[in-house]
Amino acid sequence: MPSHPIVQREFIGTMRCHRAAASVIVAAMAFSALVLLGWPSDAQVDLSGAPAQKVFRLFGYGLLGALLLLTPAFPATSIVREKQRGTLILLLNSPLRSWSIYFGKLIGSLGLVVLLLLTSLPAAAACYAMGGISLDGELLPLYAVLLLVAVQYTCWALLVSTYAPSTDAALRYAYGGVLLMAVVSLGPHYFLQGTGGWKAPAAEHLRYLSPITAVMELVGHSGVGSKGLLVAGDAFWRFVSYSMLATGLFAGLTLLRLNHRLFDRAHSQGLITDERHWLIRTLRRMVFVVDPQRRKLTIAPLVNPVMVKEFRCRRFGRMHWMIRLAAVSAMASLGLTYVASLGSMDWGPETIGGLMVLLQGALIVLLTPALAAGLISTELESGGWQLLQMTPLSATQILIGKLASVVWPLLLILVSTLPGYVVMVYIEPSMWLQIRQVLISLVLTGVFSIALSLACSSLFSRTATATASAYGALAVFCGGTMLVWLLRDAPFGHGTVVIALTMNPIAAGLAVIRTPGFAQYQLIPASWWFAACASMVCMALVIFRTHRLTRPQ
Amino acid sequence: MSETVVETQALTKKYGEFVALDQLSITLQRGQILGFIGPNGAGKTTAIKILVGLARPTAGQARIAGVDCVREARKIKHLVGYMPDRFGSYDNMRVREYLDFFGAAFKIPWQRRRQRIDQVLETTGSTYMADRFVETLSHGMQQRIGIARTLLHDPEVLILDEPANGLDPQARIEMRELLLHLAAMGKTLIVTSHILPELSRICDRVAILTHGRLRASGTMDEIMTQVRQKRLIEVQLPNHAQFQQASQTLAQALGDQTAVVPSEAEAILRFETDRSDDDLGDVLALLVSSGIRVSQFRVVVSDLEDAFLTVTRSEADAA
Repeated sequence: MPSHPIVQREFIGTMRCHRAAASVIVAAMAFSALVLLGWPSDAQVDLSGAPAQKVFRLFGYGLLGALLLLTPAFPATSIVREKQRGTLILLLNSPLRSWSIYFGKLIGSLGLVVLLLLTSLPAAAACYAMGGISLDGELLPLYAVLLLVAVQYTCWALLVSTYAPSTDAALRYAYGGVLLMAVVSLGPHYFLQGTGGWKAPAAEHLRYLSPITAVMELVGHSGVGSKGLLVAGDAFWRFVSYSMLATGLFAGLTLLRLNHRLFDRAHSQGLITDERHWLIRTLRRMVFVVDPQRRKLTIAPLVNPVMVKEFRCRRFGRMHWMIRLAAVSAMASLGLTYVASLGSMDWGPETIGGLMVLLQGALIVLLTPALAAGLISTELESGGWQLLQMTPLSATQILIGKLASVVWPLLLILVSTLPGYVVMVYIEPSMWLQIRQVLISLVLTGVFSIALSLACSSLFSRTATATASAYGALAVFCGGTMLVWLLRDAPFGHGTVVIALTMNPIAAGLAVIRTPGFAQYQLIPASWWFAACASMVCMALVIFRTHRLTRPQ
Repeated sequence: MSETVVETQALTKKYGEFVALDQLSITLQRGQILGFIGPNGAGKTTAIKILVGLARPTAGQARIAGVDCVREARKIKHLVGYMPDRFGSYDNMRVREYLDFFGAAFKIPWQRRRQRIDQVLETTGSTYMADRFVETLSHGMQQRIGIARTLLHDPEVLILDEPANGLDPQARIEMRELLLHLAAMGKTLIVTSHILPELSRICDRVAILTHGRLRASGTMDEIMTQVRQKRLIEVQLPNHAQFQQASQTLAQALGDQTAVVPSEAEAILRFETDRSDDDLGDVLALLVSSGIRVSQFRVVVSDLEDAFLTVTRSEADAA
């Protein structure tokens, strides 16, 4: 297999790149640091194996998080990039069969992830040497889960790569799918467990799709979030079977698509709604609100043309979708508040507020890189930047137009959830101060996300790299700090958790509204200062880079 | 009286030790078309980037319509329409929206913009594409829209980087006609191309660059005079019967200084000479009086490709 031409190019080619080598080294160092953090400092032996268990938990979650972040990055762009460059048609015309190309890509992409797992082995061995962890009951099953995660999400990313029209879209859909399968699939069970009917068992099955459930069971956290209810102890085997099923399904679908039909598509002839039957026009008006196919008006005076251009040409986050999303957000926030006011569930305003903060925070963190990370890099990639430079628009005007094109949709989403807060203040007027502070935290989350994504966009000339970097950086600030919070008490103390959460403006919002688990942390104004300063640093970098890119060589 | 629109004086650009452009001096009159030719890395794009204000020269001056390309880069943007070799497409945008965006960027008042878009679409023969998505256009169509974009703000000078690159023969002819039409409208054009026969048909002036230096420049005739001091003469015989005799007679007539290159398969004898037409008449008379039947005695007309090859070859020989 190593002599397979595609494996050679995909794996060895990737390994020749400095970034891949650097990421493996950084990962190895991070795993060592995780073990060092939990290594006992005194010479006493703890017969219960508790320190080893603590390190093992940290290690397991860290490794899973690293895999979820790294695995889709290379396979998601693998096929779509070949399609764009025209090399996929060459491969399909070569004597290589479709399955050979597919497995070449699969093994090539998996190579880096497996290498990452291998670099973690010394740290795992150290963990095992501490005692208290069984090899066949905990360590080997953990690696089995991780390996399955790598294979399943690589297959998923390859499938996405056959559908996506561009590399950045492929990355968005691949990571979106990973988020759905790994994180969102846990949600319904949390809310529906213990209820009757078919929903609770269905939600439980859905939960086993996520590797987090299996890893939680392996590290002894299966009771977390179970609200005191008994949980079945077969999460590992259920995950194994679901993961293998999903892998087979993704691989089969990809193999079905990997042929010449992939190119057999007619170009859009530019059908215009204005020229269609009045009935179709009316229907489309109702469905889309802002119909993407209608003839647009001339850009009005005093409007920044770059902003209008961004709204019109972006692949992701076009206005008709944004309006639908805002409507869903508004309904979700009102629904949550309505449920709380009815008292049909045992949720206090803190839990409802926490859920709303999480909903808004997640929307901001998920949407912003998709909207902002390509603002400059796409122009550099497509050659549009040179055309912008040839117009009388100044760097400042270009930057303001681009910023406005992200700020407006985010503001729309943020505002759409306000009715929920208004109802909450109506029910509990004493929460007005908290809600004001939550809103400031959310605005700062948006500002920080935009600044960070834009900074990534200005640093890379490829949209796919910029998008992946922006998601990665936000995942570190918003997800990584939550990992530290998850491991509060051990091995991280209160001080460390506070420092970590200070870097996460969403956590500040959760703490302000006194969400269970966050109520004990005093994060503002330190968190606001951090978000504001970090945003300013990022924006300074963006301004510097934009002026460098705009000035004559 | 002709008016100088583009002028460069000793324009030099260095990247560290590497000299991308070395003392380039050219002038171009209003309504003329200048063909910039040279191998890859010759400095054409560097020169163009300085002219459009995207690069600063290390030394020298460049002016368009009297405006300094370096100090007044903002004014230059209004005077020049630049079409880079990459189209610069935006997704999900129709041609009219694409042109509307650039029109707005150039601050064309919105009441006039729609009319202007219609005009440039008509000039470039692209009206039928107005509602098509930009990214779905063929390469030839994109080149037309690229030119329409450069015309939007009605610039005095158009700088087109490889406009005929990748076009099929029909599209190439249409592009040629379009460029001539633009020149007839009073636009001054600078065009780079690798397709030299295309350039030779439309350009009033040609500049040949290699390794950043201007090797030859002027009208086509001037270029030929500069690069070809000697004319290439062909003597066509009706058959091979007298080929050897003709070769010997010609060699005697021309003397040792001029080499005769025989091509027996074609029954042609070739030689390069700087002799006058009278002298060449004497050579022909000698051949005829020796009983050799000559079907044609002709001067081979050199084209831009020959001139370019002569320049690049002499450059390589010197190296």
